Amino acid sequence: MNVLLNDMAEHEKLDQFIARIKAGEKIEADDWMPEDYRGTLIKLISMHGISEIMGALPEKEWVPKAPTLNRKLGIMAKVQDEMGHGQLLLRVAEDLLKPYNKKRDDLMQDLFTGDLKFHNVFHMESKSWGDAGLIGWLVDGAAIISQTNMLGASYGPYARALHRICAEEVFHAQHGEAIIMALAEGTEEQRKMVQDSIDYWWESLLLFFGPPSKNEVGSSKQDVTIKYRIRTSTNEELRQAFFSKYVKRILSLGYTIPDETLRFDKDTETWIYQQPDWGKLKIIARNEGPRSQQRLNLRRISYENNKWVREALAPKVI
Amino acid sequence: METRQETYFEEFEVFSRKTQTSPVQYHFSLLAPNEDIAIMMAQENFMRREAVDDIWVVKRQNIRKMTVEEKKTLQRIDNKDYRTTKGYGYLKKKWRKYEQEMLDEKEIMSWAGGVKNGE
Amino acid sequence: MENNSSLENTAIKELLLQLADDDFIHSYRGSEWLGLAPHIEEDVASSSIAQDTMGHAAIFFKLLEELGEGDADQLAHDRPAKERRNAIILEVVNGPGNYMEDPDYDWAFAVVRNYLYTQAKAIKIQSLHSSSYEPLAEVAQKVQMELYYHLMHWKTWFIQLLGSGHEEAVSRMKAAIEKTLQDFQGVFSLGHYRVEMVKQGLIEDEAVLLNKWIQEVTPVFESVGVACSIKVGMVKGDGRTGQHTEDLEKALETLSEVYASDKTATW
Repeated sequence: MNVLLNDMAEHEKLDQFIARIKAGEKIEADDWMPEDYRGTLIKLISMHGISEIMGALPEKEWVPKAPTLNRKLGIMAKVQDEMGHGQLLLRVAEDLLKPYNKKRDDLMQDLFTGDLKFHNVFHMESKSWGDAGLIGWLVDGAAIISQTNMLGASYGPYARALHRICAEEVFHAQHGEAIIMALAEGTEEQRKMVQDSIDYWWESLLLFFGPPSKNEVGSSKQDVTIKYRIRTSTNEELRQAFFSKYVKRILSLGYTIPDETLRFDKDTETWIYQQPDWGKLKIIARNEGPRSQQRLNLRRISYENNKWVREALAPKVI
Repeated sequence: METRQETYFEEFEVFSRKTQTSPVQYHFSLLAPNEDIAIMMAQENFMRREAVDDIWVVKRQNIRKMTVEEKKTLQRIDNKDYRTTKGYGYLKKKWRKYEQEMLDEKEIMSWAGGVKNGE
Repeated sequence: MENNSSLENTAIKELLLQLADDDFIHSYRGSEWLGLAPHIEEDVASSSIAQDTMGHAAIFFKLLEELGEGDADQLAHDRPAKERRNAIILEVVNGPGNYMEDPDYDWAFAVVRNYLYTQAKAIKIQSLHSSSYEPLAEVAQKVQMELYYHLMHWKTWFIQLLGSGHEEAVSRMKAAIEKTLQDFQGVFSLGHYRVEMVKQGLIEDEAVLLNKWIQEVTPVFESVGVACSIKVGMVKGDGRTGQHTEDLEKALETLSEVYASDKTATW
């Protein structure tokens, strides 16, 4: 049945492909797609997936320490979801990698060698229980803004994974809010925990959305992802959305944001803010962030230590 | 080149049924060494927050999906009222003339609970 | 008469503490595995079991709270090791190293301990269905519902790894079995108030429970070629009497770090 498609010239396939995504159709794993599209998806989704896996670690550090039975349960469920999101996304990436004969093990190796990057926020320290709350509240808040932006992605499997993920992110955000709220309404020490966390994480939150253009770090994937209808908004639009949703909530709890220049400009209807140090993204991309090596090492140890389990159960090659 | 021990697990597609009468629904795929482990992973990976009545796992290689070309065979012209009750709606009026109710879908499906005898 | 009723109460509380502390520390060890399991799908699945188990601990602590023993969170976080009643085998670390830095955790030990403990728990819970202490009998019905999954899960891993024919897997599993069994008797110990507990009909006698457990696990061992008469010991001591190891001390320090930073605060 593929005879028809095989006979088509490459440019005809491309035209048909572009027409399909323009018409809002979803592309599936086995469908023909331009290499550029596949490559973009692989980069995006494998990074997204491995970031979820690495992103479980900063919070996992606080699972055993969570201060009540209920908080212990909540944060366990949250870390579980992060791993679950990693599972969904890596499955999507693995299917895209089939033509290159790459599998999950290869993705793990890419992570260890530094070829596969993970999001900047997960290279940071989580120093206190306040950080555990802030990650749920603001880091997940930022992630929700960036992920909902891709819910309509032209690649069907990614869109379906994101639907599952975003539904659970709502729980994450509320889990984070609940921790923060208890601290914000608590003792002086507890209140201070939150302010310290905001001060520590603010720059990372701005970096999270990526540079406004390729001028800042030398490259940006945003144009091609918009062209292929994987996402709709630019990095800057997403960062602005984050300000719009979260600045007033942070201030309403009586906290300050470590940027005296931050203000909403009514004329241009945009937030004016102090640019973060974009150079830090490059440092983190080299896995030289505050906790990059320690977390990679943790992942590496667990992967190596459990190799015998995967070997023992691997289906016998006939 | 280094030869790596093959430790790649198999791909399983996961389906579930919410209740005994609901249709089976597709969820997602997972990696597992075999079907016994796959079925143990299924609920917690994809149905942590919902009730289910049954779960199926199927090795992906045993599922035949349609190609883009084959999907073209699914298209139909919207002229097949004769296959549905929609094409026979006029009977309602006819029966009224004979002072009879139409035995429509709602009426017929209601017989599941038994039909009350009457003249 | 008064003496009797206070003895009766003490026996109930002791039993509840044993049940709560077992599940609490067992779940804690499970939670240290988060993010580190042999494959991602298993990480997600086993996390649910750790959560369920923490949930069971919370239910038992709640029963103690209702008996005026203090707040459930305080019972979980604010008792020194010598007041803990968990079996020692459940407090043993997952392996050398810290969960944040260099966890050299052993999946074989996890599987063996989880399977053997879950089977023991299932037998105790079954016995508690007819406990003379009604609130506990009711709770046992609920807990049982979730044990079907826990047991199937760990039994499957146990059978598959031992039955894999993979040399390293089999030898690691056998070593883990030996390590677990030598202290597993502690799980069945009912502590100082064993006589009173049985007399009151709170739970069956330890020997009865142990025997039922042996009946359950023996065919499973045999099915994967581990033919042995199963003997359990208590070489590190009896946790029910407050004997514990440094492993528990360290775990308590970690799990109460935030709680202890301000015990009166709302978290």
